[in-house]
Amino acid sequence: MFNLLRRIETQNSVILLYLTPAVLLTLVFFVLPLAFIIYMSFQQWTGVGPVTHVGPENFTHLLNDPIFKRALLNTLSWVFVGIFIHTPLCLLVALVLWRRPFMWKVFRTIFVFPNVISTTAIAFLWYFIFHIDLGLLNNLLSILGLANWRRAWLSDLQTALWGTQLPFIIYIGFGMVLFLTQISTIPSEIFEAARIDGASEWQQDFYITIPLIKRAIALQALFVVGYVLKMFEYPFIMTGGGPANSTMNLSLYIYRKMITANQYGLSMAAGVVTLIVGLVLMSFVFLVLRRFERE
Amino acid sequence: MRLFRWIVILVFLILTLVPFLWLIIASFKTSQELFSDPFGLPSNWSLFNYLSAFSIHPMHIYFRNSVVVAISSTLLGLIASTLASYALQHRFRLGRAMFTYLIFGLFLPTSAFMVPIFFIIHALGLYNTWWGLMLVYAGISFPTGFLIIKTYMDTIPRELLEAAQIDGASFHRAFFNVILPISYPGIVTAAIFLLIMAWNELLFATLLTQDESARTVQAGIRFFLTTYAANYPQAFASTVMAIVPTILVYILLSERVIEGMTAGALK
Repeated sequence: MFNLLRRIETQNSVILLYLTPAVLLTLVFFVLPLAFIIYMSFQQWTGVGPVTHVGPENFTHLLNDPIFKRALLNTLSWVFVGIFIHTPLCLLVALVLWRRPFMWKVFRTIFVFPNVISTTAIAFLWYFIFHIDLGLLNNLLSILGLANWRRAWLSDLQTALWGTQLPFIIYIGFGMVLFLTQISTIPSEIFEAARIDGASEWQQDFYITIPLIKRAIALQALFVVGYVLKMFEYPFIMTGGGPANSTMNLSLYIYRKMITANQYGLSMAAGVVTLIVGLVLMSFVFLVLRRFERE
Repeated sequence: MRLFRWIVILVFLILTLVPFLWLIIASFKTSQELFSDPFGLPSNWSLFNYLSAFSIHPMHIYFRNSVVVAISSTLLGLIASTLASYALQHRFRLGRAMFTYLIFGLFLPTSAFMVPIFFIIHALGLYNTWWGLMLVYAGISFPTGFLIIKTYMDTIPRELLEAAQIDGASFHRAFFNVILPISYPGIVTAAIFLLIMAWNELLFATLLTQDESARTVQAGIRFFLTTYAANYPQAFASTVMAIVPTILVYILLSERVIEGMTAGALK
């Protein structure tokens, strides 16, 4: 009996030993930063010298800062575009490839490829494509006889935000794979039965496939929110947040407040807002999913 | 219906392939050809842009830094994830709570943590070093690696571990001789993902490095196009160089990468 107890006790301490690296990494890079930004968002601090408690002043300052409002709105625009344009495109391609057309595996490999390489490189690529002189887009317009459509896409207030969002919208690989995987778990008898009942392929997609993969759609929405909230490369590389802050988003705002302005309290308050936005949006996705699953 | 499907495929093929083909062709052109003949082929397929990129900025040092940081952070992340996943195969009090604690960073937008991570790395004296980036990458990508490996280990029948314990294998022996060898596919998938994530990372590479002693490729290619100097041909070439290693890995392991993308996610 005593031996058994001892064995359990040593077992528990060994378990703890195996958990140590993971616990430490999580502590240092998630728990401490989280506690730190929540505490510091109520302080004023320039990085050196004393920390002054200022209460909610950082947050009122942010809400009165038109650049922050722009950043917040733009991030919400990214969420909107991600859920209502990007995700339906992922679904569309998944529904097409799921029927296993000729060479579908090759297409799948090609469509996933932009999601594997660095976003930095893709941002550069599209910066080049939108370039006013050497860019693919302007030169294509000239060839098509649409030379008067040429413009400096990324320095134009009307097109810059769309320009930074476009590569994210059209590279549908990840969501497509998520949907393909989920669709492949649907028993084929269901489609068989629908076909016998005379359901067209459109009807099968709308009344069978889409309702049966709503969990994957919700999951994709979660990934989009997580991805978009930390989106940094496209605005940072393609526009630097310009022109006139029209492409500024939350990540870039946090970076700017920290690096160029040394306003660490404000920067961390913006970080807290980012987390809250994420929490609200993700809870919302869960609520919507719960509602649909009850039906 | 059939036609519509092929139109969808064709549109996305063009959107995906044409920009990259254009990039690769452009990376061989001279500055003059870039501006005067944007659709033509380069008159001379020479590696000049690639070679001169190395003389404008120390790309070879950026490459070395990227390789060291990607491999070391992946190893650290794998060790932490594998050990923790194995520990959680045993039932113990607070096991569920521990799982929640380890996974909770998965959906947190890490860009919110720029300031604290910057000061933590500074306080550890690791600013502008390989070690700093290695620790940060291992930390922020840990939930991903952990989820992939834990999901894989959960598919191993419990009886295997129990049998090993009944046979008298110690905690360590059961890990090294029984669980680790069969978990290998899950660990490889996680390794590919952590490597790619570390190689591609830009934000913390920019934030935590100052010069070539730690600057990675992704953080380095930005300097070909600054307000003071716009080396377009070299910028094209360095953009290609920044993705070549990932392309090679992807060509070799695309099936595995695609399968790994949803590993754990749909549980």
